[in-house]
Amino acid sequence: MNGLIIFGLLLTLMLTGMPVSIALGLTVLTFIFGFTDVPTQAVALKLFTGIENFEIMAVPFFILAGNFLTHGGVAKRMITFAASMVGHWYGGLGLAGVLACALFAAVSGSSPATVVAIGSILLPAMIKAGFPKSFGAGVITTSGALGILIPPSIVMVMFSVSTNTSLGALFMAGVVPGIVLAFLLGLTTWYRARKNNYPRLPKATWAARGKAFRESFWGLMLIVIVMGGIYAGLFTPTEAAAMSAVYAFIVAVFVYKDLNLSDVPRVLLASANMSAMLLYIITNAVLFSFVLTNEQIPQHLADWMVGMGLGPIAFLLVCNLLLLVAGNFMEPSSIVLIMAPILFPVAVKMGIDPVHFGIMMVVNMEVGMCHPPVGLNLYVASGITKMGITELTVAVWPWLLTMLGFLVVVTYYPPLTLWLPHMLNMR
Amino acid sequence: MKWLDHLEEWLITVLMGVATLITFLAVIHRYASGFAIPGLQDWLLRQDVSWAQEATIYLFVWMAKFGAAYGVRTGIHVGVDVAINRLSERTRKKFIIFGLLAGAFFTFALASFGGSFVWENGAHYRIFSILGLNLDGLTKGPVTPDMEMPTWIVYCAIPFGSGLMCFRFLQVAWTFIRTGELPHHDHGHVEGLEEGVEEDAAPDLHPQEHAR
Repeated sequence: MNGLIIFGLLLTLMLTGMPVSIALGLTVLTFIFGFTDVPTQAVALKLFTGIENFEIMAVPFFILAGNFLTHGGVAKRMITFAASMVGHWYGGLGLAGVLACALFAAVSGSSPATVVAIGSILLPAMIKAGFPKSFGAGVITTSGALGILIPPSIVMVMFSVSTNTSLGALFMAGVVPGIVLAFLLGLTTWYRARKNNYPRLPKATWAARGKAFRESFWGLMLIVIVMGGIYAGLFTPTEAAAMSAVYAFIVAVFVYKDLNLSDVPRVLLASANMSAMLLYIITNAVLFSFVLTNEQIPQHLADWMVGMGLGPIAFLLVCNLLLLVAGNFMEPSSIVLIMAPILFPVAVKMGIDPVHFGIMMVVNMEVGMCHPPVGLNLYVASGITKMGITELTVAVWPWLLTMLGFLVVVTYYPPLTLWLPHMLNMR
Repeated sequence: MKWLDHLEEWLITVLMGVATLITFLAVIHRYASGFAIPGLQDWLLRQDVSWAQEATIYLFVWMAKFGAAYGVRTGIHVGVDVAINRLSERTRKKFIIFGLLAGAFFTFALASFGGSFVWENGAHYRIFSILGLNLDGLTKGPVTPDMEMPTWIVYCAIPFGSGLMCFRFLQVAWTFIRTGELPHHDHGHVEGLEEGVEEDAAPDLHPQEHAR
């Protein structure tokens, strides 16, 4: 009953269009004042202690690292490298777009920024080369979402924070699905390009490939520092994030020289703005999950589901549908912070691996970014392509179907995600 | 109010930079002190960096509270607007004003909770002892584990940050009522793209604005 009141309140407040963080906070306040006798002082304390946690601080550090490298110059290097490696196959520039998006998204950490950066450079080139606009738009919109699956990923930090799952294991678990999804999106591109006989690039020489690799090497090292540092036990994930932020600063200012020292305060301010927004949602989501736990709502839900005779297979299906619907209205971080505290205890009770469940949620978020009505990638892509949302939706359809198929595989074939972390003894 | 804007931006920029540097230096210190460089190693081992983690957390908490206020001004706090975008322009406006006022109300409530929390956890004692007033029944309040700083100073981020955020919500609401303009954050902004393309790249996150 209390669960219905809480979710009814939250849903009503959210539908009025107020910021998600405020809707969460007001739900908690209203519920605590109206229906319980938890002292409000406890709420005030939770507001502060909610994010008084070193693990959460990986969020601002990763955002800062990404912002240093979210630059047109870095995007160009990734595209040149990708085009020299795969441009001579069917799909040419389109295939290069998938690879460039995967690389840039992993480094920048932002899906919409990837779509804009890679799209603004690659789309004009693709149209000039004779690709239809819708083909290019489809490739970039969907491949831009790869960033939240390939580590370092902010959404995974969110999941790790709200469920106490090992962030290192989540990052490792994201690697194989990330590569497989990039491969599948590339395959879709290749197949469609071959069928329609789209232009290919001349094969690049190994010297050109070497040069392109050396150019993009510094950016890609960021992933190696984070993953290698965490795996080798050199740093905790948060420390790895801080190291990567300093590394990204050095690369952007002294190696690539895309930024001047005088640009640094602006990057810091933009990163602080974005991180503070996410930390504010986290603060209020912590309050929200405190209330949920206090009312034992996840337990009731789990008991009810088990009582209904719902097994893991049906439960995962329900989760997927729920998350896909939520993906229609909210951005990934908010969804993970609201849904994970409810669904995760149920999943654990059903014997689903925490890391597997986390990766499944992340893949869901990826799909949500690319489909209407509010896929952020769609809007951003519509801005750079000057195509309407409906037209774009039609254009992304083949890749979106591929992603949905991949989602089913990730959901029901745990070894795909768990093989690497288990082999490395990370749990 | 320009000075407040600058102070806010300057504060969160510095907090972000300092927190990154501290964590970076603490990690470097941990590994550098392992090298047997005469003089340097001894000096490094004498340095105590155990406070670094705590300092990073508090710097980021302050950054988060004041950055959230700055975020109201830049329009980065987004909500679910699919439902209200389908309403008529007048009704939609009312909902937006309601949302902004709800934000102001929530942050005001937090600022007052936070304020009384800080007051009862040491601020009262400290201020009265400075003024030489009666300290009967007042407590000094707890201190933080590593830096041994009074917690009420750290927790000041809540009343001040939330208070500022409340002010920002009211400010944005007032501007919206007067001019109909809302701050709007561009999630797809990327630097260093060619001129012209960058302008085209402005993403259309609020498609309803064209429907007018």
